[in-house]
Amino acid sequence: MPTSIQFQRSSTAAEAANATVRNYPHHHQKQVQKVSLTRGMADVPEHVELSHTHVVGPSQCFSVVVQDVEAPVSTVWSILSRFEHPQAYKHFVKSCHVVIGDGREVGSVREVRVVSGLPAAFSLERLEIMDDDRHVISFSVVGGDHRLMNYKSVTTVHESEEDSDGKKRTRVVESYVVDVPAGNDKEETCSFADTIVRCNLQSLAKLAENTSKFS
Amino acid sequence: MAGICCGVVGETEPAAPVDSTSRASLRRRLDLLPSIKIVADSAVAPPLENCRKRQKRETVVLSTLPGNLDLDSNVRSENKKARSAVTNSNSVTEAESFFSDVPKIGTTSVCGRRRDMEDAVSIHPSFLQRNSENHHFYGVFDGHGCSHVAEKCRERLHDIVKKEVEVMASDEWTETMVKSFQKMDKEVSQRECNLVVNGATRSMKNSCRCELQSPQCDAVGSTAVVSVVTPEKIIVSNCGDSRAVLCRNGVAIPLSVDHKPDRPDELIRIQQAGGRVIYWDGARVLGVLAMSRAIGDNYLKPYVIPDPEVTVTDRTDEDECLILASDGLWDVVPNETACGVARMCLRGAGAGDDSDAAHNACSDAALLLTKLALARQSSDNVSVVVVDLRKRRNNQASS
Repeated sequence: MPTSIQFQRSSTAAEAANATVRNYPHHHQKQVQKVSLTRGMADVPEHVELSHTHVVGPSQCFSVVVQDVEAPVSTVWSILSRFEHPQAYKHFVKSCHVVIGDGREVGSVREVRVVSGLPAAFSLERLEIMDDDRHVISFSVVGGDHRLMNYKSVTTVHESEEDSDGKKRTRVVESYVVDVPAGNDKEETCSFADTIVRCNLQSLAKLAENTSKFS
Repeated sequence: MAGICCGVVGETEPAAPVDSTSRASLRRRLDLLPSIKIVADSAVAPPLENCRKRQKRETVVLSTLPGNLDLDSNVRSENKKARSAVTNSNSVTEAESFFSDVPKIGTTSVCGRRRDMEDAVSIHPSFLQRNSENHHFYGVFDGHGCSHVAEKCRERLHDIVKKEVEVMASDEWTETMVKSFQKMDKEVSQRECNLVVNGATRSMKNSCRCELQSPQCDAVGSTAVVSVVTPEKIIVSNCGDSRAVLCRNGVAIPLSVDHKPDRPDELIRIQQAGGRVIYWDGARVLGVLAMSRAIGDNYLKPYVIPDPEVTVTDRTDEDECLILASDGLWDVVPNETACGVARMCLRGAGAGDDSDAAHNACSDAALLLTKLALARQSSDNVSVVVVDLRKRRNNQASS
């Protein structure tokens, strides 16, 4: 794992794709990829682009989900940044307890109990990034009873300006990397994880919009 | 396995001629509870004191709702260590001379090895009279994600069905039941309805978790297996993976087919709608939900739909009973075994005029089936309704 990732803008043809993939020889017969998941999006700040650049292993898959919200960045971030209370907007979470740390400092670990009907029981998740200035939060899954091994996600909130109407809006981007479990393929794994993430971000948007409406 | 079955059978007590709603009857039923521990080590029986409190509560429910009964799916043991809770109850029979065709029923709902109770049961004998015939409503709802969708089905679906049947043209049962389920699905999705129901619900009992966070939650749903029984017909409408089984002359006849995502026709429907079925701890829609139809679950529409499959079956003299239950039972007990257990209980009571004996037999059947499911390590809530369909002697004489 490289200790630092130096990002360089490239004008290759791959720029048109949503993700730029570069291969680095890491072991014999094994390759690690560096993937930029916001390439191709309009008006993305550099720190957001860097946040959504992941190192992907050969048996892993990755994806990104984008959600626009009609609410201020500060409102969205106030909900998103509560690592200790994800059930505010993640409706698949039944309960959450911080078992290491205070829920604010990097290294905190939470135990998330999942609602019934889903193929998971609980998840242990470590806070990797909490950047209140740039509105970046990241967690990795370090245990639990589910099939999403080595899941790591980054979520950012930034103000974005659309070319069409010039109106500013808040954009939430969540990208992740995860192992492909035995018996499934990359497409299936992303399809499953995208469904969960998309549902979470839609709930986040509704909650933030309701909150800002009443305040 | 045979040993377990024999053990369960051996524990059946002969039906006592007591009033089905009397305290003695409730106490007798309580005496059955300690035996649960014998047959199902994984199910921890709550202290009897809590059971008595719960029974008293149900007695109040019975007295305030004569002729109708909705089991409280949110009954929780005060002892947090208890991992199972059993509620037993009979419907209240109205005046025998006027409504002698009201079927006798028994019902049981058990939390089982899951920590939350998300099943609900709805029983409404004589909920509708049409063409001079009494119609009876029975429903089992197995919630997932939270309990409030199943609870709303319990509270509302029989009334929605009643209103639809009242304007139904000459026995168009399929269309009527499809409309009813679709209306139920819309009701659980509408924000205003949720707020109103929440207001009413909050005054009666604790709000479920979702209501404390936001009025709308798209990731909650429920199965619904519903039966309308008339003197001539049994109409079953099913959405999800609960099930209705008819016991006719010792033979188990399924009146519903489970909506599993890998059922070939359901798989095709989902794919044509643009969705996919992924094997993720079993076949699941988008890898998430283990059933292909449900009330609620808006985030998975249009792949998961609320449309029921409807069967209409003519009643015959050979009909013994109807069993409606959640998959907590059917996942571990085959149709034939369930019919055998129920049949044995009903035979013990005979087909005489003694309505109390028939009630007790149905209750015993429901309880035995529940205990059998727990003994076979069911990992889910278990809800069972047993309806006695036998024609009574005086009815036969008159016809």
